[in-house]
Amino acid sequence: MTEAALSVQSLRKSYGDVQALRDVTFEVAPGEIFGLVGPNGAGKSTTLRTVATLLNADSGTVTVGGADRDHEPNAVREALRYLPEEAGAYENLTGRGYLNFVASFYADDPDPLVEAGVEMADLGERVDDKTSEYSKGMTRKLLIAAALMTEPDLAILDEPTSGLDVRNARQVRDTIKSYPGAERSVVLSSHNMLEVEYLCDRVGLLDEGEVVATGTPEELVARTGTENLEDAFLEVTA
Amino acid sequence: MRQFLRLTWKEVRELLRPRYVLPILLVPILFVALGQGFGGIDEATSGQPSVGVVVNDTGEYGAIVNETYSQGAEVVYHGANVSAAEAMERTRAAGGTALVVVPGGFSERIAAGEQGGVQVRTVVDSVSLTGIASSGQVDGLLGVAAERITKTATGARDAQLDPVDASYVTEVKGQQVGQPPSVLSSAFTSQFIFIPVVIMLVIVFSGQMVINSMGIEKENKTLETLLTMPVARRTIVAAKLVGSATVGLLAAGVFTVALSEYQSGLTGGASALPAAFSLGAAEYLVIGAAIFFAVVGALALALVLGVFAGDRQGAQILLFPLSILAIAPAFATMFADFSTLSLPLQALLFAIPFTHPVMAPKQLMFGDSGLVLAGIAYEAVFALAAIGLAVYVFNSDRVVTGSAGRLGRWLQRLQR
Repeated sequence: MTEAALSVQSLRKSYGDVQALRDVTFEVAPGEIFGLVGPNGAGKSTTLRTVATLLNADSGTVTVGGADRDHEPNAVREALRYLPEEAGAYENLTGRGYLNFVASFYADDPDPLVEAGVEMADLGERVDDKTSEYSKGMTRKLLIAAALMTEPDLAILDEPTSGLDVRNARQVRDTIKSYPGAERSVVLSSHNMLEVEYLCDRVGLLDEGEVVATGTPEELVARTGTENLEDAFLEVTA
Repeated sequence: MRQFLRLTWKEVRELLRPRYVLPILLVPILFVALGQGFGGIDEATSGQPSVGVVVNDTGEYGAIVNETYSQGAEVVYHGANVSAAEAMERTRAAGGTALVVVPGGFSERIAAGEQGGVQVRTVVDSVSLTGIASSGQVDGLLGVAAERITKTATGARDAQLDPVDASYVTEVKGQQVGQPPSVLSSAFTSQFIFIPVVIMLVIVFSGQMVINSMGIEKENKTLETLLTMPVARRTIVAAKLVGSATVGLLAAGVFTVALSEYQSGLTGGASALPAAFSLGAAEYLVIGAAIFFAVVGALALALVLGVFAGDRQGAQILLFPLSILAIAPAFATMFADFSTLSLPLQALLFAIPFTHPVMAPKQLMFGDSGLVLAGIAYEAVFALAAIGLAVYVFNSDRVVTGSAGRLGRWLQRLQR
């Protein structure tokens, strides 16, 4: 049996009196793009941050490529790359400099990774400008490239196209769509159901800190007797 | 190690950006300018004043005044039996700023046991400290002339004019020094104000740098990405501490040079500290250790505070508690002797880790190394605990959520 790229079992997490995650369980297979979908405050970002070792869980287990995040956090960090919903780059670095900074944590010779990143970011000559001069779209493209150029086993992308215009969003979606390979998976969260339907092989619907349904977009639509994923989402989280 | 160096370099580069460094450099530049200004006054008074001298007196005492000014000043105009207004005009034309007029009958009045009057006319072209500095020199020469006239008129010797020769022995904390208390007081005051201020600056700037570093990460939204890099959290903590300390010490160094320039401009560079109170290499090493542990403790504490910063502006506000802890002992030890304070105050000051480097030079000067060593041991424990706390906080959710119960809420309220 193939080991899951990501396995989340009975994850619970609270912030003081607020129970953010009640019982989150799902698995992501190698080569799969998995979408985590839910209303605001459902616990998507908390789940992704916990998987990415940023937050500690109250209970439950998370393994990335077999490495347990509680016992081998560095092995988990080596296997994944996380792009938060709101992220920036170091403003005193150029785009290329930022890619080089990130790449140098993953390879002794970062140059090939940087070249891959430059190509993925598709910023043209602006890649050599300071990131402080970038628009939001350019920064997002740079960060997506920085996340994927190191070819992580698991890329965690929180709202990857949030705030982007149509052209940039399309470009980022294409980059994500072409990313998975035999050992490369993606977990993403998004409020855009068309995007989720287009990108994701499987989807987990999260509501009030629990995964209430998982399946391919088609399965979820069929299961709820609705016409599309957006309606299925509304039906399940009603 | 490679990752630590890379992260440290990133910190240094980030903190050395003009927007963070320039505001810090503004105050030292002001201090240097002030020091140079005071030095300019010294320079103005170190040369000879340019004067005109009119002697309407034909006696020997008028000649003494004339001779004194000829020796001690640059006499640009010499005259006799000329009106003061005309003489002043000629003196001004020749570049002089003061005119000394010895009236007729000057010598006769002195010989008769009366005071001989001398008129000093001064023109002040520039209303500034430098502009009026030379008038004091002209007055000084008049005092020299008066003493010479006294000796000539009375035949008195130096010893008769100044018959009491005081020799001073001042005992300070069991050490005897051949200086009057006023000289000691002035020397110690300069040392005890300068050193605490410099140490306070080192602590505040280092703290400011590390809090800034956290504020920048939060503002630029780079912290979460950094924390998911394959690097141990303690390496990130160490890089932040070392990077910030490097820039903080650099800033403090600039401040120290500026303050020293300012002080040297003020005192003319003279240090009247008696040899009995000078410190040796071993004592400087002990002071260095006290400063080192204080800086490490301050950095770690600032890093913990920085975790709760919403942005760079919020980070500046969070520096406030740390600044108070650095300023309080500096001021307390400036104006009071630790050993004369009440026990609760002593305990309070001892508990503040930044007291010890401030106090160390004074205590070592007076041979009280026990208190200094105990202070350093306490500082080391505090620094280790603060680093442990920083690593703990970096391994917890707080570094991302900025929430830590009541304390976190209070720190967040402080930033509003």
